[in-house]
Amino acid sequence: MSATKLERLRSADYKAPGGKLVRVRLKEEQGQIRSIRITGDFFLVPEESLGKLEKMLEDVPLREAELRLLVDRFFRGTGAQGLGVAHDDFVKAILSAKETV
Amino acid sequence: MNLAVEEAIPRMVGEGKSPSTVRFWHNSNTIVIGCFQSAKLEVNMDACKETGTEIVRRFTGGGAVYHDSGNLNYAISLRKGHRLVPNQNLQSVFQRLSEGAVEGLRKLGVEAEFQPVNDIQVDGKKVSGAAGSIRWNSIFHHGCILVGSDLSILGKVLNVPGVKLEDKHVASVQKRVTTVRDELGRDVSTREVRDAIVGGIESCYGVRVESGELMKEEVGLAEELYQTKYSRLEWNLEP
Repeated sequence: MSATKLERLRSADYKAPGGKLVRVRLKEEQGQIRSIRITGDFFLVPEESLGKLEKMLEDVPLREAELRLLVDRFFRGTGAQGLGVAHDDFVKAILSAKETV
Repeated sequence: MNLAVEEAIPRMVGEGKSPSTVRFWHNSNTIVIGCFQSAKLEVNMDACKETGTEIVRRFTGGGAVYHDSGNLNYAISLRKGHRLVPNQNLQSVFQRLSEGAVEGLRKLGVEAEFQPVNDIQVDGKKVSGAAGSIRWNSIFHHGCILVGSDLSILGKVLNVPGVKLEDKHVASVQKRVTTVRDELGRDVSTREVRDAIVGGIESCYGVRVESGELMKEEVGLAEELYQTKYSRLEWNLEP
């Protein structure tokens, strides 16, 4: 008997109070992020760091506390600088992602 | 090739091989998307085909912009630590390096003002958007000024999600932008605007701008970047 994968696709278009858009497309399985793509018209330097954030988010539970901890760790660890989007906006965008068919 | 030159210059400036540079350029019909954007989500591909509009990704963040021959692009490349931008905070960079363009537009008679995060507006309407980066030991800022662009195409080729326009109280991207031509109520050439911006940069920053051609090394690096990155679908259209 093979295990059934319960993978769900979720997406959100979240507008940050700073005015920029954060678009999230993620695959969720049993409450955890399996993979995630973050796009949008925000600024983040160094630009390559976004891929690192996406990688760090893999296998992280879709819960506010864990996401906030990880996003804060990302900014502290990389020294990345965002503009038009606050650290918390990434968390809110991910949490607002709704299931899509 | 224009976007490859955009990357080549700050790289060379950061290495100390090129001087501080202001570059002016324009493209024929092209959508230039920000480095974090999804081409599939931001651009109306069918409308691009119909209107012969190309899609290219730049190396800086920010939103998609539509370029045509009625659009003037300027780019400022400085070595990190330059006196004009001692504070290496991206918002300070945008504000400080937009001032020359704002001053230039005012010299022309356009009541322009910088609007954070990265716009130059006239009476609440965007006439220029900027983007930039701090990397390769350089500070890079570029902006596109809508001089006499065809705003009807702009509205067709860009997909602006409703959530983005909600707080602007306007129904479309076309209604929240303006052009230098519309603001002045007369035809104005990109050359006239370029000269005004050069004047704005000189008076605002206390510098003298000398005209010149791209250096051989800059062209060589741009060609390499074009071959390996900017001519490739995987860079321009994915994800």
